[in-house]
Amino acid sequence: MAITPPYLKHGDCIGVVCPAGFMPADKVQTCLQVLDNWGYQVKVGTTVGSQCHYFSGTDEERLADLQQMLDDEDVHAILCARGGYGLTRMIDKINFKKFCRKPKWIIGFSDISVLHSHIHRQYGIATLHAPMAAAFNSDAYKNEYVESLRNAVAGIKADYICDSHAYNKKGSCSGELVGGNLSLIAHLCGTESAFKTRRRILFLEDVSEYIYNVDRMFYQLKRNGMFDRLAGLIIGGFTDMKDTTTPFGKQVYDVIHDLVKNYDYPIAFGFPVSHDKENLALKIGREYKLTVAGKKVRLMEK
Amino acid sequence: MNRKSFFHAFIPASLGTMLINKSFANPATHPAVANIPPYLKRGDTIGITCPAGPIEIGNIQPCCRALKKWGLNVRYGNTVGKQWLRFGGTDKERLEDFQSLLDDDNINAILFGKGGYGTMRIIDKLNWEKFKRKPKWLVGYSDLTTVHLHVHANLGIPTIHGDMGNGFSDDYDASSSSLYNVLYGHKVKYNIKGSRLNRLGTAQGTLVGGNLTLLQACAGSKSDIKTEGKILFIEDVSEYKYSIDRMMMSLKRGGKLDKLAGLIVGGFTSTKSEEEESFQVSVEEIVWDKVKDYTYPVCFHFPAGHIKDNRALKMGVAYEFCVSQNDVSLVENSSAPDPVFLTDDLKIGNDSLYNFSDTMFAAPPRLPFPQ
Repeated sequence: MAITPPYLKHGDCIGVVCPAGFMPADKVQTCLQVLDNWGYQVKVGTTVGSQCHYFSGTDEERLADLQQMLDDEDVHAILCARGGYGLTRMIDKINFKKFCRKPKWIIGFSDISVLHSHIHRQYGIATLHAPMAAAFNSDAYKNEYVESLRNAVAGIKADYICDSHAYNKKGSCSGELVGGNLSLIAHLCGTESAFKTRRRILFLEDVSEYIYNVDRMFYQLKRNGMFDRLAGLIIGGFTDMKDTTTPFGKQVYDVIHDLVKNYDYPIAFGFPVSHDKENLALKIGREYKLTVAGKKVRLMEK
Repeated sequence: MNRKSFFHAFIPASLGTMLINKSFANPATHPAVANIPPYLKRGDTIGITCPAGPIEIGNIQPCCRALKKWGLNVRYGNTVGKQWLRFGGTDKERLEDFQSLLDDDNINAILFGKGGYGTMRIIDKLNWEKFKRKPKWLVGYSDLTTVHLHVHANLGIPTIHGDMGNGFSDDYDASSSSLYNVLYGHKVKYNIKGSRLNRLGTAQGTLVGGNLTLLQACAGSKSDIKTEGKILFIEDVSEYKYSIDRMMMSLKRGGKLDKLAGLIVGGFTSTKSEEEESFQVSVEEIVWDKVKDYTYPVCFHFPAGHIKDNRALKMGVAYEFCVSQNDVSLVENSSAPDPVFLTDDLKIGNDSLYNFSDTMFAAPPRLPFPQ
């Protein structure tokens, strides 16, 4: 199991950064306020609200902001306010020395999957796949998903239960949890940042992709051997899918089911991890027990 | 007689094996010349199959007319005219059709009907044993990059990156005449005008690559290629710029850009921008940014890719690649005869052979490049 960073205590400080896409400052306000209400101090990074065309800053600016938060001993966790695209442009320039000596929780999803995967593969330190700043807006911070983030950073062990799905494969397994955004996990194939998935529970989600591209990325993972020796597989939301002029002729879950149905480990479709509201906090690198039963699916942190 | 049987015929077996091991010790500098498929001659048969997207028989008629004018017989595989979902038949049908053309001694070359998506779904189930013993030319691009990469990585047999069944028009053009030249064994020899974006220099190396999306999609798999000491060709169509940037980062982080002999950038057309208008960087800048720290020659706007002027490229063979201020040349290392201008009886319409078109690229680059 990966090294677990210390959980947060009342009064600890959460650093907030935008290491990828640009995010307007006003869209982060609720998140900052809620973190404060939860009893944490907040340190706002220089990339929050700043912009360099697509990105929240130049590669150098984004790197400097994240590096500063990683190295600052008074920052106890780092919440990435938004994904988008951009981490892979600077991942090889981040200095993880101090972070490895004093690990802290790194929180986010989507493009942040690059950080999760790289840190898991290279340093074996647990990270937190969880809602980001936008998920707090319009009172949504009261929902169980943002609440799950609150519980996760405080060290409360997860015990999630969701409805079963017709495509599920029943069974139970235990293993270290890895996963994240399919596009980024496929993007990291063939690099030193790719997840090792053997004997682990893998979860995948994606948004706004063409169905044929989801199929291609699943084939890429399959051809990389990433499905071969899993303990279990969790299929999250594949939301706002797009199709081409010649339609694929199948829905995204049908496509995924075709690809994975012959594996004999437990598989749970429709798990609440996604780009939609349904996005439970998941600790990458921690041991979980997955039980896929007839009516319910349970994912319990050990 | 190929090189291997030549050795075996005249040298005692053990000595022959030693020599062969030595001469094939470094595939980067010694392309697998023994494995070059036979070039076509009049009367040969070319088979058409659809391992990816579907094609209607009507849409490959310009292609068939051209092939017949060139003196070739055309045989449709079972997947021509078939459709299942967005594919040219079920996975099983596409696999069986491709396999039967690979194994059929009466088929001298295979031209793929169409790109799209789907080759990756069947590539691992193909049996290459017969093809390995009796190679034949495989012609296609885009999704068929999967075949180029897989065959290069696992068999070291050259393939042809060029127009497919749906890519011919009844207008005589540079792409179809370049394909004629390659199929009939003329040397690949292209000369295009220079660009201020290019990085000057000269390189020798085996040409590899194809569609950037497929290069990325094959990363880490059995079809992944090694690029060290080689000339890499890339092209793509209808991708978001952030995605092109991300795929270039994949190549870079996968160690595929640092030890190249040279880089050839073909067409990058119809880039999408609806949801990422703020990605205000040209494709040329995106690519340049990933290779600016190296020193090998780089050429932009090479006439190959999802563009009308899609020149046939023999992949997996050695070239001399020369980028100078005024022009760019890509010349196959071969004693084969020079390419010919097609005589009237081989032409379908009228045009000049190497008509370089300035209008084939998506958008001019926005910023000047450092040289």
